[in-house]
Amino acid sequence: MTITSATVEESTVDYRDPLVRLRTLFDQGTLRTLITQDDSGVLSARGEIDGTPAIAFATDATRMGGAMGIEGCKHVVDAIDIAVRERVPVIGLWHSGGARLAEGVVALDGVGQVFAAMVRASGRVPQISVVLGPAAGGAAYGPALTDIVIMAGAGRIFVTGPEVVRSVTGEQVDMERLGGPEPHGRRSGVVHITTKDDASAIDEARKLARLLGSQGRISPADVAEDRDLAATLPAEASRAYDVKPLVKALLDEPGVELHAKWAPNIVTTLGRFAGRTVGVIANNPLRLGGCLDASSAEKAARFVRMCDSLGVPLVVLVDVPGYLPGLGQEWDGVVRRGAKLLHAFAEAVVPRVTLVTRKAYGGAYIAMNSRSLGATAVYAWPSAEIAVMGASAAVNILHRKKLAASPADDREALRAKLIEEQMTEAGGVNRALEIGVVDDIIKPTETRKRLAETLADAPAARGAHGNIPL
Amino acid sequence: MADEIRAEMVANVWKVVAAVGDNIEEGDTLVILESMKMEIPVVAESDGVLKQLAVNEGDVVQEGDLIAVIE
Repeated sequence: MTITSATVEESTVDYRDPLVRLRTLFDQGTLRTLITQDDSGVLSARGEIDGTPAIAFATDATRMGGAMGIEGCKHVVDAIDIAVRERVPVIGLWHSGGARLAEGVVALDGVGQVFAAMVRASGRVPQISVVLGPAAGGAAYGPALTDIVIMAGAGRIFVTGPEVVRSVTGEQVDMERLGGPEPHGRRSGVVHITTKDDASAIDEARKLARLLGSQGRISPADVAEDRDLAATLPAEASRAYDVKPLVKALLDEPGVELHAKWAPNIVTTLGRFAGRTVGVIANNPLRLGGCLDASSAEKAARFVRMCDSLGVPLVVLVDVPGYLPGLGQEWDGVVRRGAKLLHAFAEAVVPRVTLVTRKAYGGAYIAMNSRSLGATAVYAWPSAEIAVMGASAAVNILHRKKLAASPADDREALRAKLIEEQMTEAGGVNRALEIGVVDDIIKPTETRKRLAETLADAPAARGAHGNIPL
Repeated sequence: MADEIRAEMVANVWKVVAAVGDNIEEGDTLVILESMKMEIPVVAESDGVLKQLAVNEGDVVQEGDLIAVIE
């Protein structure tokens, strides 16, 4: 049989080869391996990503399904330690069945050393994981300990595989339903970004390495032009809307949204604003009315802590009706998990500016980077309202007896009058401005400029803490 | 593949916008719910044909209730 040379070349390139995978991550011609390729099951390298220096390692799926032994684990630990010394991002490409069985407890010890190295590096350099195939057992917790987890279509993360699940619990489930992009992207929150294929997963990792590894400087002059950000909101104040177009209009170019499908009632996006990397947090009224709940508070808290530890300033866009009420929420720990967001904002030292676009009510107002939690500045658009609760709900509570005592015929008229009084007294944004919890009312068309100036004037700072996967 | 759209929270069905048999694109509004003093559009998360509408205007939906099926 005659075969052309091109076919020979294609068939001899194993896409699972760690060197092949690392080459796709780095700019062409910049890859330098840190070790000689051996049978340890891991290869590590340095290189550049759009000119940003970075360190990466990849498990070798061509050997024992990428299982990790003590030698391979040492290579990973060394790669992470080098990244910390050089203060550059470290990216892990995962395709591994976990610890090498034949090595027994020696391999377990190695995997444990990898975990310890990741925690040492946490909050000091950006750590990004790309899951390209199954990452099981110990290999599941490797990615989970890092800042951002990207999963390609063939990626799977689980602690125990379908066969063990079947024998122990009797549940019939395949690998995809157990730990594929759908369950981890939407239900568990383990994965930040899901992609169709390997190439787009690598592409997302490159974008994030550049955003976090070369953060740039804020230049307010770059956002001097008018952009009417309010044009992305509906005219009727009571109509819910998707906040993502507002986030997009705020940023210089489309950012990278993390956890897009998990807890979608809050949006967390990394992107460039006035030339610098920022983290944007925005309530999304389209989902659950934009309420904060247990999952969204936890998602936002982790994002705040990641940005704080990596020195990324925050822009917080607030349109929140409150915490989601209900038995499910209370039992789901909305108090404990909601407290994480209060803690995360209150401890954050990066510049962080808040903009109230429409409303901020009650406990959720406090949680969304309020003045009392130490916001660098809090701005509001002219139509914004900050209150303990909406005026009509407040009237029903404050004037319950008065309303009940009034003749039934007059009750609605009285209610309307009381609501109007409540709006003037406690609604709007004037009272918040008076007591200094809102610094200024700004126009939608000058918002980008004012936010950029505020972030530029604030002293750069960075939280001295790790990024525990909350 | 059928895509079931379920209520995320307790709400009143304020308006039904789409009709069974409509061609639906991702992002199209199917019904508008009223909850938390807000009108909240329920949008399609996939392209397809609206196979079933399980709610009428004025209904109260609980979390997890079926609203529509897109095929």
